[in-house]
Amino acid sequence: MRTRILTVLALVGGALGVALLRVGPSAAQVRPPTTVPGGPAEVEAGHQLYAIACTTCHGTEGEGVEDRGPSLVGVGAASADFYLSTGRMPLDRPRTQAERKRVAYSPVQIRQLVAFVASLGPGPVIPRVTGAAGDLAEGNRLYANNCAPCHSSAGAGGALGHAVYAPPLNRATPVQVAEAVRIGPGAMPVFGPDTLDDEQVASVVRYVSYLRKPDDRGGFGLGHLGPIPEGFVAWIVGLGAMLMAVRWIGTKD
Amino acid sequence: MGKRLFRWVDERLGTSHFARKAFDKIFPDHWSFMVGEIAMYCLVILIVTGVYLTFFFVPASGEVIYHGSYKALQGARMSAAYASSLDLSFEVRAGLVMRQMHHWAALVFLAAIVVHLCRVFFTGAFRRPREVNWIIGVTLLVMSMMNGFFGYSLLDDLLSGTGVRVGYSIALSIPVAGEWLAFLFFGGEFPNTEFITRFFVLHVLLLPALIVGLLGAHLAILWRQKHTQFKGRGRTEDNIEGSRLWPSYAAKSVGLFFIVTAVIAALGGLAQINPVWLYGPYDPAQASAATAGSQPDWYVGWLDGALRVMPGWEIRAFGHTIANPFFPGAVLPGLTFGVLYLWPFLERRFTKDRDPHNLLDRPRDAPVRTALGAATLSFYTILFIAGGNDVLSSVFRVAPESITNLFRVLIFVVPVLVFLVTRSACRSLARDHVHPFGGTVGSRVRRTPAGGYEAVDDDDPPPAEATRADLVAEAYRRPAPPAP
Amino acid sequence: MPAERRIAVLLLASTLAALGLAGVYIAGGQPQAEGALLGVALAGIGFALILWARGLSSEGAVVAERGPLGGTVEDEEAVEERVEEVTEEPGRRSVLRLFWAAGGALALSAVFPIRSLGPAPGNALLRTAWRPGSRLMDTDGRLVRVDTLQVGGTLTAFPQGAEKAGDSSVILIRLEEGQLQPRPGRESWSPRGYVAYSKICPHVGCPVGLYQADTHELLCPCHQSTFDVLDGARPNFGPATRSLPQLPLAVDPQGFLIAQDDFDEPVGPGFWNRD
Repeated sequence: MRTRILTVLALVGGALGVALLRVGPSAAQVRPPTTVPGGPAEVEAGHQLYAIACTTCHGTEGEGVEDRGPSLVGVGAASADFYLSTGRMPLDRPRTQAERKRVAYSPVQIRQLVAFVASLGPGPVIPRVTGAAGDLAEGNRLYANNCAPCHSSAGAGGALGHAVYAPPLNRATPVQVAEAVRIGPGAMPVFGPDTLDDEQVASVVRYVSYLRKPDDRGGFGLGHLGPIPEGFVAWIVGLGAMLMAVRWIGTKD
Repeated sequence: MGKRLFRWVDERLGTSHFARKAFDKIFPDHWSFMVGEIAMYCLVILIVTGVYLTFFFVPASGEVIYHGSYKALQGARMSAAYASSLDLSFEVRAGLVMRQMHHWAALVFLAAIVVHLCRVFFTGAFRRPREVNWIIGVTLLVMSMMNGFFGYSLLDDLLSGTGVRVGYSIALSIPVAGEWLAFLFFGGEFPNTEFITRFFVLHVLLLPALIVGLLGAHLAILWRQKHTQFKGRGRTEDNIEGSRLWPSYAAKSVGLFFIVTAVIAALGGLAQINPVWLYGPYDPAQASAATAGSQPDWYVGWLDGALRVMPGWEIRAFGHTIANPFFPGAVLPGLTFGVLYLWPFLERRFTKDRDPHNLLDRPRDAPVRTALGAATLSFYTILFIAGGNDVLSSVFRVAPESITNLFRVLIFVVPVLVFLVTRSACRSLARDHVHPFGGTVGSRVRRTPAGGYEAVDDDDPPPAEATRADLVAEAYRRPAPPAP
Repeated sequence: MPAERRIAVLLLASTLAALGLAGVYIAGGQPQAEGALLGVALAGIGFALILWARGLSSEGAVVAERGPLGGTVEDEEAVEERVEEVTEEPGRRSVLRLFWAAGGALALSAVFPIRSLGPAPGNALLRTAWRPGSRLMDTDGRLVRVDTLQVGGTLTAFPQGAEKAGDSSVILIRLEEGQLQPRPGRESWSPRGYVAYSKICPHVGCPVGLYQADTHELLCPCHQSTFDVLDGARPNFGPATRSLPQLPLAVDPQGFLIAQDDFDEPVGPGFWNRD
């Protein structure tokens, strides 16, 4: 009996400790901007890397291969950096949704590949953003109007049709968020400068950075998946604990 | 001092006569009789925390500009209702814990009502003479569900605003009178500025008053009719066995109240529920934003699931439309609660059993009823899970279309399977007299006064010194009566 | 440990937690500490009460008779007799009938104030705030120009001057010119690849805000209906039964996007008198 009460106390105390520990700095990680693709040497190095891993789907000079991969001419440094730095490229199986995975290249190699792709034709450059600039509340409003429908209010992601998913945003860096806004990777629509100007993108980025560690003032956030996990907790933890208590009350000593 | 006060009251009200009878009131010892008490104590928590919240909540949809301490909404336009919810959560000391306790208590309240209803259903406790209390109980369930919906709609966040709009659209879909019903109930075309004030009055005054009143009637009838009890040695239709209210049962029950409140308090402080600041305000003028993962609270989840699995059909004829949401949104709950209300009378029609019953069935004693109940539960469970098809889809990486199509099949297949399996399980359990949670097969041996041993027949009177535990264990070995 | 000791420990823990709770409140409050301490304070008392209750009574199970529920036959007859004293006499019966009529009429008249709760539906559900020449405005209050969106871009728009109209939001998408297969009669509704559909789902009215650019589909986040943007927003899947109404667009001489007219059908969920 005593052990059971102690266990309950320990659980409550532990949860309290965890909740307290989670009060940490919430400012987003600032990453040095990698805006300008390098000179001819980098382009050449990138071309060599490209020849090894990318030609099957994107063609020898980035012209694309029918039914395998799109042309890379004019996709710009932003696209290349987004896909490579999130590990989405290289893709294991063509024509599936590219998902975030372990990054295959070193930062230097990524810069070289980005330089090569950027040299194929003019396209969006890598935006200069950090998680700290921009206006948080403005970012919240823009996020609600433009991003939350697919990525959910809390940035947890969500399902679209045909087994396509809006990814959770908790691992996206500020630069990657800005890149995605501008290039519209995969199923995502493009948000050009006339829809969201650079300042607004910075605000969105700031809010997305905030969502990586939102104000969970109420305690454990339950994955920010809304009423469904809440329902399970109510049944299993809440009513479950009470039913155990009732069974215990119903027993004799 | 206490004695003098008691005398003073008694001389004026005659309390001692009632108290003397009440102290001897007998409560069955089986744990399942306390599930209803869990629900009742959740209601107490809901009222206490709810009253506290009303001191701070502003039930108005007028637009304000937020200047509270939550940075991510600084300067945002929102309704006064939503702004006051934020202030409750950030500015009012202990306000967030109260708000979260209120919400957790609501979720657990309804869960406890459902389990209590299952207990009553599966043991046949609704039979004569308790039909009226069954009807009151179902009404309490309906009202509590509605009140929960009104309650979370009040906060006027993005998620709840979406839910209100779904409710409005269901009202709109009702044939002939739908437009008028929707306009009168919501105060005009949605979105509008009326509904928060209306929902507030319903949520804090009308429905709570009805719920408390009906609960009073529920308990008064219980008091008059006395509890049911499980079959067992010495228990008959004409007696009741258990513990007296005073002192031990009263102390245990009050102890349960404290434990229930403790669980709700711990959840309210440690597990975040409905973080409205992350959802953002609902903009009634624009109604433009939505969020992925839009779900209602669990007790409405089955209705949302039904809306999701319903194929895209509707009836258009003679210049009129019976819109799609009418079937899952209005017909299904109508049928659900209609059948629940009528169940005691429906069952009587089929079993021809008109006798009063104070002794309960074990679920296996009524295989068809038990199987029907289990199948029904499986039906609503599947609907509830279907209400999370988008969450399932992104967690398990299956297209939502496939999941929805799967549920469209499961919703018919699983209840049938559950019915067949449950019925045959009940029948075989009833044959073998084995309690599913333990208990032994075989006969009991008793030492005779002469020093020998003899097998105990089921019809033997129990030995005088037998403890109650022995009696209960023995009761489980008694042959079940034939199924109705 | 004997029961008394256990009870004492529990109550002590409860007392300390309650004092701690007061302390946390005075210090400014912290939700997690408040919930946990309140939980411990209550649980301590609860468990202590139950342990204590077990020692209070050793009588075991008690059996009592239920007694009859219904009254005796004499009771019933006596009540019936007293009621009939009033209702059986012919003169009183006609008066009673008048009481019923008056009460019924009063109840009927009490129903009428319900009408004050809301306006008549009228044609509110059939029209929106779009008028011929209404300019499109985005959520920031900027007017939409013909070059506002890139191909593949999307935004939510309202009629200028009617930003408070909840039934008028549209989702504006820019497609490549020629991508759209316009329905007969709608050939001139989508200048420069711009196409605008009502954002209110015809199922239960959620905002159809999810645009999947690669398959040109709009999705509703509430019940997963999908709509084919290239084919007049016809529903592909889910419970929605009708296409999203399309707003006829045009470009005015200043280069702003405008509506040619209101939608040609009611927006939003279905209802009895829709068609």
